Amino acid sequence: MSPNSTVYRGKSGQWAFLFHRISGFLIFFFLLLHIVDVSLINVSHELYDEVHELYGNILLRLFECGLLFGLLYHSLNGLRIVLVDFFPEGVKDQRPLFWGVLFVTFAAGIPGSLVILWPWIDGNLL
Amino acid sequence: MATSTRPPSAGSTTELRPDRTARRRPKQNFETWSWYFMRVSGLVLLFLALLHFAVTHIINDVVETDAVFVEERWDNPVWRIFDWTLLALALLHGLNGLRWIIDDYVRSPAKRAAVKATIYTVSAVLFGYGTLVIVTFEAG
Repeated sequence: MSPNSTVYRGKSGQWAFLFHRISGFLIFFFLLLHIVDVSLINVSHELYDEVHELYGNILLRLFECGLLFGLLYHSLNGLRIVLVDFFPEGVKDQRPLFWGVLFVTFAAGIPGSLVILWPWIDGNLL
Repeated sequence: MATSTRPPSAGSTTELRPDRTARRRPKQNFETWSWYFMRVSGLVLLFLALLHFAVTHIINDVVETDAVFVEERWDNPVWRIFDWTLLALALLHGLNGLRWIIDDYVRSPAKRAAVKATIYTVSAVLFGYGTLVIVTFEAG
């Protein structure tokens, strides 16, 4: 990334901003899809169950792990933005806060993903 | 620039303290409220969305959240209110974020209007239908 072409000059804030956008964008479109799949319960319970079974598929389980990482990152980085905005002296800590956001995202995302993937791991690897 | 202490010359003759014009707090317009809304709704969503994910993917396995699971959960009005609040706040928060993204990347006014109209319409329809489902759902 050219240092002069980006708002935050390619440093950690640039990545924090970019990941926040991408995760928010993807979560929004998943939300639209998710409203449709849950709403199928109004058509018939059988149809809901049929479509819903797909979420147990390994590919969708991997997708759910991605969703978990996206949600964690977007939530925690959002919290970082709120902290920096409402406590202006906190701006000087924005970089360590960003590393904290990444650390907690992985610290919670990895065990969470293991739980999500467990039925597959249990049936295929163990 | 907003940081300039010198106001633009035009219109400043009637200003009593022209040197402070540029530092004056901006008017509370729609964008100010949208800025606050993103932070407040974001804080609420942090709890709602992560709790929702934990219930449907971590505490219960995703295949267990079938129609019977929904029946039992929505038997309790508190969960209906929880789900509806999540639906409303997540849609509005996401929609406003997407509005900012569209303003940043879709530069042609015609395309921008078309993209926004599409996204707003789809979201409004889904919000209406989602609300209907949560409110009118009956077990069995």
